[in-house]
Amino acid sequence: MQARGRCWVFGDNIPTDQIVRSDRALVSLGEMAAHVLENLNPDFPGGVRPGDILVAGRHFGQSSGRAIAPKALQATGIGAIVVEYAARLFYRNCFEIGLPLLECPGITDGVEEGDVLAVDMTAGTVVDETIGRRFSARPVDPFLMEMLEAGGVIPMAARLAGEGEA
Amino acid sequence: MNLVEKILARASGRAKVSPGEVVVANVDTLLLHDLSGYLTSKVFEEEVGLPMRYPERVVMVFDHHFSPPTEERARILEANRAFARRHGAHLFDCGSGNIHHVGVRNGFVRPGTVVVGSDSHTPVHGTLGCFATGLGNNSHAGMVMPFGKAWFRVPETIRIELSGRLRPGTTPRDVALYLTGEIGEGGAVYKALAFTGELIDGLEVWDRWLFPLITIDVGAKCAFVEPDEKTVAFVRSMTGEPFEAVGSDSADECEAIWEHDVSELEPQVAASPTLGNVGPVSAFAGRAIQWAELGGHGGGRIEDLRMAADVLRGRHLAAGVKFNVVPSSREVFTEACREGLVEDLHLAGCTWFPPSTGSNQAINMGALADTEAMVSTHARNFPGRNGSAKAMMYLGSAATVAASALRGQISDPREFLS
Ligand code: SF4
Repeated sequence: MQARGRCWVFGDNIPTDQIVRSDRALVSLGEMAAHVLENLNPDFPGGVRPGDILVAGRHFGQSSGRAIAPKALQATGIGAIVVEYAARLFYRNCFEIGLPLLECPGITDGVEEGDVLAVDMTAGTVVDETIGRRFSARPVDPFLMEMLEAGGVIPMAARLAGEGEA
Repeated sequence: MNLVEKILARASGRAKVSPGEVVVANVDTLLLHDLSGYLTSKVFEEEVGLPMRYPERVVMVFDHHFSPPTEERARILEANRAFARRHGAHLFDCGSGNIHHVGVRNGFVRPGTVVVGSDSHTPVHGTLGCFATGLGNNSHAGMVMPFGKAWFRVPETIRIELSGRLRPGTTPRDVALYLTGEIGEGGAVYKALAFTGELIDGLEVWDRWLFPLITIDVGAKCAFVEPDEKTVAFVRSMTGEPFEAVGSDSADECEAIWEHDVSELEPQVAASPTLGNVGPVSAFAGRAIQWAELGGHGGGRIEDLRMAADVLRGRHLAAGVKFNVVPSSREVFTEACREGLVEDLHLAGCTWFPPSTGSNQAINMGALADTEAMVSTHARNFPGRNGSAKAMMYLGSAATVAASALRGQISDPREFLS
């Protein structure tokens, strides 16, 4: 499972409220995507292209557990998220909706906005092709890789619950 | 095994589980509020399309809305009501109180059970000896509603041992705020936190509650307090439903022990942008505030109302200060009426709001302009959560909130305690 694209870089401790403002919690995903992360980078929602990679620092996606934050990011068409580490619920939600995420210690030290990154979920590597540097990610639990490949938790729920294929 | 491992083993039909394992466990209670309920119900009906297996375990509480402010919001609440009726789930309508308090007071949270919810503060129910954690919409819609189950990775446990006696004017909330800073945002990602020690043992249940409340802010998955006689008596006073409390086999069943002595601790304040930005009240004293609130899911407990009344009784808010008082449940408002707190706080200049979650996320109330600041007992202080992203939110104990409201600036509550 791979993604390759230009990257956008964000900082540490970004709460879900800054990804999607909570007063926009009930609008359509398309509308959320049109404002996603705008408080932190006003150019992001208009400039992000399908396949781009989002890079951020420590404890990304803290605060609310509503899956709208990763869903709004997914709706922009980004190919993957690479962070120093993610908040637990954000992490869980990404795999549950089928959005690739890697935790890659050190990533924010080397990578600059606009660099081209190649992300390999299976190998657990991120290569910054612009500067020619390779980062290794924390391994993803095989159970979560399976979920990602299935497209999220819903397609595999019945099987997990011990009730055969959905 | 420790408490969390025992509960997860029992709920997944295994003799034993260990940290790192993924299990699929039965869920006893699913708590949803008006916002998460709406998002989850859409995924459940539009993307899953199966019947709800155990509607009696699903509880929806309208806590952000005590009354819909717009037609759009009215429509959303109507959609939620229709959803609850269609599937037979429990519904607590506008004015019932905050989701977590309503869940506890109506007996949906019992020791030894598995409690999940969309609200990220769901781990607070570990106070009663539950395995309680927040999950996303797709877990709830895809697994909990149709199958009554959820997947969990068994967490490693860290014991947080709190010793020492609190000084006058320093409250359990100050300790909890301090710990958020000490552990750090993301300082315990994925862990289970066991709050123990003489401080916790000595506290009543609603004060213990303030500790598992910080679970999410330090990045942990769940937290718990070992159930004792106080826990059992407390839950018995809420419900006649049967439950079987479990406790850890031994205190060493954890990955690490972090000890803190609280005897020297001063009242604490956490200022925007995050909970980790915490320090002694003296570090923030003098900063102007125009709004004060006892509310959000951190506040509005009867303990908070009493504490504020002790500071405010016979005095009056500073000119220009508005003070929202939001009971966390109807039961708390009843107690406040009986104890005369409604009158005390009203005469001091406070405004009473219906039982709800208060101005958390500014849905019914509490939006701030960019030049304004609020001091509150909320659980959150992120920019943009209450109106302008430039507005400041200070978090403190009810005593600090009340003292600050008397001066119109962040103030040390000890100056007002006799
Ligand atoms: S007040 Fe905020 S934190 Fe508390 S229950 Fe409601 S949404 Fe959750």
